[in-house]
Amino acid sequence: MDINERKTKGILTVIIIGIIFYVYSILCFLKPAEEMSESERRPLAQRPDISQEAIINGEYMKDFEEYAVDQAPGRQLLRGTKVFYQTVVMRKLDNDGMYLSNGYISKLDYPLNDKSIEYATNKFGYIYDNYLANTDASVYMSIIPDKNYYNEKILYPSYDYNELVVKMCEGMEYASYIDIMDKLTMEDYYQTDTHLRQERIVEASTHLGEEMGASLDEDFEEVQVTEDFRGVYYRQFGMPMSGEEMYYLTNSVIENCTVYDHENNRTITMYNLQALDSADPYEMYLHGSLSLVTIENPRATTDKELIIFRDSFGSSFAPILATGYAKVTLVDIRYLPANMLGNFVDFDNQDVLFLYSASVLNNSETLK
Amino acid sequence: MVFSSMTFLYYFLPVVLLVYLVAPRAMKNSVLLLASLFFYGWGEPKYLVLMVTTIIIGYVSGLLIEKYRDKVQGRIILILALFCCLGFLAVFKYADFFVESFNQATGLSVKLLNLALPVGISFYTFQLISYIVDVYRGKVKAQKNLLNLATYVVMFPQLIAGPIVRYEQVEQELTARTHSIPMIREGIVRFIIGLGKKVLIANQLGELADTYYKVQENSVTFAWVCAVAAALQIYFDFAGYSDMAIGLGRMLGFKFPENFDYPYISRSITEFWRRWHMTLGAWFRDYVYIPMGGSRVKSGRLVINLLVVWMLTGLWHGASWNFILWGLFFGVLLIIEKLWMLRYIENAKGINHIYVLFATIISFVIFSGETLMDAGLMLTNMFGLGGIELITEETLYYTASYGFTLFVAILGATPLVKNLGTRAMKVAEKYKLDTVLESVVLALILILSTAHIVDGSFNPFLYFRF
Repeated sequence: MDINERKTKGILTVIIIGIIFYVYSILCFLKPAEEMSESERRPLAQRPDISQEAIINGEYMKDFEEYAVDQAPGRQLLRGTKVFYQTVVMRKLDNDGMYLSNGYISKLDYPLNDKSIEYATNKFGYIYDNYLANTDASVYMSIIPDKNYYNEKILYPSYDYNELVVKMCEGMEYASYIDIMDKLTMEDYYQTDTHLRQERIVEASTHLGEEMGASLDEDFEEVQVTEDFRGVYYRQFGMPMSGEEMYYLTNSVIENCTVYDHENNRTITMYNLQALDSADPYEMYLHGSLSLVTIENPRATTDKELIIFRDSFGSSFAPILATGYAKVTLVDIRYLPANMLGNFVDFDNQDVLFLYSASVLNNSETLK
Repeated sequence: MVFSSMTFLYYFLPVVLLVYLVAPRAMKNSVLLLASLFFYGWGEPKYLVLMVTTIIIGYVSGLLIEKYRDKVQGRIILILALFCCLGFLAVFKYADFFVESFNQATGLSVKLLNLALPVGISFYTFQLISYIVDVYRGKVKAQKNLLNLATYVVMFPQLIAGPIVRYEQVEQELTARTHSIPMIREGIVRFIIGLGKKVLIANQLGELADTYYKVQENSVTFAWVCAVAAALQIYFDFAGYSDMAIGLGRMLGFKFPENFDYPYISRSITEFWRRWHMTLGAWFRDYVYIPMGGSRVKSGRLVINLLVVWMLTGLWHGASWNFILWGLFFGVLLIIEKLWMLRYIENAKGINHIYVLFATIISFVIFSGETLMDAGLMLTNMFGLGGIELITEETLYYTASYGFTLFVAILGATPLVKNLGTRAMKVAEKYKLDTVLESVVLALILILSTAHIVDGSFNPFLYFRF
């Protein structure tokens, strides 16, 4: 290669890399800052204000670094590129604890956190001792497994669900355990979300009802609300995936129910279609995370009432369960502290169901 | 500011390169100096004063030493200058370590200074010492222009993590250097490869090595996997940084010395240290070991010389007993090799590689541990004395998950990947596709590295603490 050829070779490489480098750099300088990251559900760092003090103590520089990363142009695309490279090219089995298996995004939740289980059973024990022990209430407990439970790839570490059930039963001797794990399969979960598909949980709900002595409706109309549902795992994982169909279940009983949001003192609908445009479309079911909701069923053929202590999974179970009760009260003690329950709920002779996902039980610090 | 950050890559570097390359020749050092002070001040604004003071001490003492060369005053000024430079290092880097050790030994509770470690102090202090000593030895002329000397000391590519560039190596380039497209291309290639080593390999290995402390049920196998990962991480982290520094230097018209030459393929520890952190080894050789008499002394004195040099080498890496032990570990191995075993080891094909890898993996366990206790526990687990399983489900998962990364890193630590790249380029050259291939590979590494920086919060530079 002669000198001229070497120079040309140098110029081409410098030009190509220089263009990539400077174009992206200019975008970094010019791109308007975004307020929120939908995938992480957090506000993004904004360009810090310059002050003498912030510069001297290094705060400005630290904040600018955060800003530069948070506001990087094409951040979501770059994150997806990284996930693709790590999981497909480098054969890494997970990315920040999330992995794709048979088309389903899952999250590692390992190992079984004994302290968390103990904390949860203590919290439930407090509720039983203070509000239920001296009533005629029938108390039940059921656990919704994470989709990891149904993962056939044995390499991913997971905890022993039997051990979880035993520990929960030992900690809640006052409650009858209802096993719904064999009523569910991997296909009952959304591929891109942690939750269950409502149209696939009728059998599990009916089983819950049967065990509690309630007769639930089994015929529902499936109403498709979108073909492009992308759950929270999709955005957290970062890799491109196609959207999923999303349905809700309804029938004449559900349509005639009255739903009341006690947190905001308002009557609401069973399904909130506006939530489909939000960061978490799953909040369509019962308006998402509300601390206290009651569903009254005027068409009930019984006067039995049900109180459900629940997490977000309960939102899709509740409408189905409501078909077998005159009234269902949903309590989320992540937002309504257990010691304040007496001010809002009258405990008498209702059925009481502690319906929690395994992931909340294993990370129960959010229970108040 | 670290090289593998968005701030450096897409805010600082583009602006500095543009201004520097369009600036007239006479202004280039001023631009480089200002940019370097900004670069340093970005991370350590309060220590700019310390750095400027050190530079002024070096500048004035250089001039005075030259003026009083071969006179008693010259020697006194040399001693005073070294005392100041090493004094700053002692106070800011080692004072609390010595006080803590004193407190532990005596049971007293002398108050700690709690000073934050000024980034890069070990590197720029050693560079300045090499300048002062070389002026005293008459190897180089004292720099009359403060701006030029300051540019040498604070030049951002090598300021905070080396390589340790001696004044004599850049003396000419400080006043008369050339810039050309082939040099910029060479710099880009080197910088992006270094960025990839750091972000795509070292950081991933760091995650794996860190997992050792996070898993619930550890295993003997996993302790070894993590020890190998840590040894490779340190190599790719530091070699990657050196590549980036050398590449940046090339873009700016400087030729910095090489710092790594595939150390893990060495056949002895003696060879390992000729290939690992070469500029530090050469510095200790020329400014400590040889002045102490080097190898041309009796065996007893040689042992002492080697132990002192390697204890200091360990201490240079950090104010902790782990680093001292790490240095002495190598010191002992080098004494054994130098006095008795080197010839046998170098001829023992195959076994010598296993010996070097085994010794370096053990050494980096000592190096990486937060405390001697941590390192001891890990070594105990590695040799099956910690009462843990040979393998567990959890550790098998992480081993499998990072297996390919580890495989790539092992290959990358040998000349194999570079040789394959060179062959691929030759084949591409036949079809006039070499430029395209080079650009595509570099662009991919740059994009992937950026993606990892944007996504990853795990981005520490190991050598910053030195």
